[in-house]
Amino acid sequence: MIEGASKTRVEVDAQGKRATYDEVVVGTVLGEMDWVVTEDMVELQCRLDLDYDEFYSLNSPWGARIAPPQITYRPPRWLLSRTYNVRGLFYKWQMENVRPIRIDEQLHVICRITDKYVKNDREYIVYSAEATDTKGEVVFRTERVHVLDVLERTAPRAGEGIDTGIKAERI
Amino acid sequence: MAVAVLKSSVAVGDVLPEIARQFRLEDFKRKDEQTIHTDMAAAQREGLAAPVAIGPQVASLIFRQLREAFGPGWLEGGTCSITFRRPVLVTDFCVARGKVTGTSSEAKGVRVACDVWIENQRGEKVIVGSASGILPQT
Repeated sequence: MIEGASKTRVEVDAQGKRATYDEVVVGTVLGEMDWVVTEDMVELQCRLDLDYDEFYSLNSPWGARIAPPQITYRPPRWLLSRTYNVRGLFYKWQMENVRPIRIDEQLHVICRITDKYVKNDREYIVYSAEATDTKGEVVFRTERVHVLDVLERTAPRAGEGIDTGIKAERI
Repeated sequence: MAVAVLKSSVAVGDVLPEIARQFRLEDFKRKDEQTIHTDMAAAQREGLAAPVAIGPQVASLIFRQLREAFGPGWLEGGTCSITFRRPVLVTDFCVARGKVTGTSSEAKGVRVACDVWIENQRGEKVIVGSASGILPQT
């Protein structure tokens, strides 16, 4: 028992009703988006992570500045939130850096729900994404597992959340 | 620049560079948003005891470690699979550690497989997983 912590799962927040496990449909395409990584985005990512390298800040063997691979976290999460109002917590993260992302190149990201399961009385959803360049070649792949709530699924859904899963789409 | 610390002569059991960071609440603030990462009430509404760190920001210690270990061979051809085992509090001290578990030859060089993890100040493994990168053949 955690002192002060809610014993009910959040039912609604400022963005409306939270998505439930039953509402998440395996196979759903969460959407597609064009995404261009800018200098400002790379600089912010480096600052947040204290991850600095000449390749990120000056130039690289790939003919331009490149982005830290972890910048790829965001577009799939944005696409998840465009479809489902989910807060919860990040649980698993797989990533494949097929090649680096060059600053100002255009990527196309597509994301879909690939699985869902219940474990230890908690509800998990799995979503995967792939990004391609303008030639249609894959730049990165990722798979994520997200737990819908901190609390067990047997906890009633009744509370009102302060933090919404839907955020501004920025780094 | 991203020059690999590891060499293709690497052996099973060799350790990866350690990357440590003392987190602070300010590391997770974005404008004036009330989130589970910055606000006690927002965290407790979700059933948490206190604000928790942003997972990818903590995991980035592993990505820095892999960049140092493999250089370009992390940025192109690198893979990583991690599990967030327990929340990291916003004032925790964390250190990324890793060790080599195997090697295999590929067209582009030697793929080196590793176990990677992050420990907090209590020695608890808060993130665990595996990763790989490519080193040039020597």
